[in-house]
Amino acid sequence: MDWIKIWTFFFFLSLAIFACLSIVVTIGGLFNIRSLFKDLSAAKQKAEQTDRR
Amino acid sequence: MDIDFANLGFDTNFSILDWIIVIGYLITIVCIGVYIRKYIASATDFMVAGRGLKTFLAIATMIGTELGLVTVMYSSQKGFTGGFAAFHIAFAAAIVTLFVGISGFIVVPLRRLKVMTIPEFYQVRFGRDVRILGGIILALSGILNMGMFLKAGSLFVTGVTGMTSEFHLKIVMTVLLCMVLLYTTLGGMVSVAILDYIQFVVLSFSLVFASLMSIKYLGWDNIIDTVTREMGQSGFNPFDEAGFGWSYVLWMFFMGLVSCAVWQTAVIRACSAKSTSIVRRIYTLSSVGFLIRFLIPYFFGICALVFIANNPTLKGIFLSAEGKANSDLSLTAMPFYLSQILPAGFIGIISAGMLAAFMSTHDSYLLCWSSVLTQDVVSPWFKNGLSSKVRLFLTRVFIVAIGIFILVWGLWYPLEQDLWDYMAISGAIYSIGGFALLAFGLYWKRASRAGAYLALLTGFLALLGLSKVQQLCSPVLDPIKKVFKIEDDIPSAVIGLIVLALAIILMIVGSLLLPDKRGRATLMKLRSNLDGLD
Repeated sequence: MDWIKIWTFFFFLSLAIFACLSIVVTIGGLFNIRSLFKDLSAAKQKAEQTDRR
Repeated sequence: MDIDFANLGFDTNFSILDWIIVIGYLITIVCIGVYIRKYIASATDFMVAGRGLKTFLAIATMIGTELGLVTVMYSSQKGFTGGFAAFHIAFAAAIVTLFVGISGFIVVPLRRLKVMTIPEFYQVRFGRDVRILGGIILALSGILNMGMFLKAGSLFVTGVTGMTSEFHLKIVMTVLLCMVLLYTTLGGMVSVAILDYIQFVVLSFSLVFASLMSIKYLGWDNIIDTVTREMGQSGFNPFDEAGFGWSYVLWMFFMGLVSCAVWQTAVIRACSAKSTSIVRRIYTLSSVGFLIRFLIPYFFGICALVFIANNPTLKGIFLSAEGKANSDLSLTAMPFYLSQILPAGFIGIISAGMLAAFMSTHDSYLLCWSSVLTQDVVSPWFKNGLSSKVRLFLTRVFIVAIGIFILVWGLWYPLEQDLWDYMAISGAIYSIGGFALLAFGLYWKRASRAGAYLALLTGFLALLGLSKVQQLCSPVLDPIKKVFKIEDDIPSAVIGLIVLALAIILMIVGSLLLPDKRGRATLMKLRSNLDGLD
């Protein structure tokens, strides 16, 4: 078994996949943050309205 | 370990510009954390972000937490001492995480039960007393496990900045911890998620870039040739007994499972996800992150070895005649190497990312262990539980208390062993018993309280992985060593595997001999929750 070839292939393939994943998660994460804040604001407003009642 | 590398002609590239980048970056993220406070309305928002994390943000936070500075430090040390063969650990972590993602093993039923912590599951499945014992063991193991984080962080700062005064480093680490405490107590899980996202973006791109720079600087053929010359076959073949060996590889597969599905800081991400389908997706996609969090630091460690081995002055300092490196020095090798090859400006960005990783790991761990103490050790004593406000207050008090403990422990406890050994042993106290309780509690109807107690307590035997503990227990262990013809210490991987097997056996035997007398209705209710839809 040629471990040098295996690890060389493994390393460069992993690096390439991670680079692609980073781009996708960076863009997708921004949209998720916007939606998280929207949800939390709505939940807080709802809680405040319930407290007032 | 006071070595003035500048006097030896190895000035760091870390400049004033880099300091400005690091300080500006840290102040910005703390401000963001404080700003986010206005969105926190309940303990659930604080601990699991209102269970509102969607796929991409959850992946970023999971990788952001697991790609901590301590992981980078001990992984680069493994790459430095183990060469390319250490890649098998990254491979094992990725395969196991992918398996968890596809099968939903442990994490999906946990999310269905809507528990916040693993000991909370212990109560649902085995009873209140198991939850309290499990919570104490988990928190003890976890807090001890993070006890050395500050030490690793300070070694990184020393290596990168070229600072030699330990006094100044202690001040820096104290200031950093204060920032972490402020950030975590104010923002909770929401701010952790946002910080992890920012850290993910900065660190992932800078790590990929630094890897490419390393290959360009050292040359791929030179890297392969130097590792071959210094380590021979054991630098590549993980099954070579001169290096890692079969038992170590097997142990790493178990550690991979623990890291993603049993360790509370990773499981809390599953508990924070919006649905079980998102849990599966997070784990499937995060398998790449679990791979990279080890792979790139290993590669940096290998590059540090190549850089040092090809320089006679540095080789004399870092590597002894037999080629074995001193533990403290091998930890410093990677940051020292980065300080030599990365250009000013970029080194500031990667250091800021690393220090943010340091903060991120701390805030995630602080939040995690304080939640365990509040939810699983204090709260079960109150018949009607604790109100959301009291739980939030208690969690914040525990965060500060743990912070003070790790500051004292990290700054003053002398680390006289390999960092990875310390981490693995302190973690195994919990993870071995935890795995048995989760796997059997979720998938075996007959698992009982007695079996759970036995498995939890068996975890303490993992301490035998420490050579000093082995010496203390020599009257018991020596006859065993003679039978198996072992001359040195029993390897920690072998101890870990034996203790794991013992915990599983005791869980089965204890459950069969002493079954629970809980009503059928309770078990049926649990099963219907576990089998329920999203």
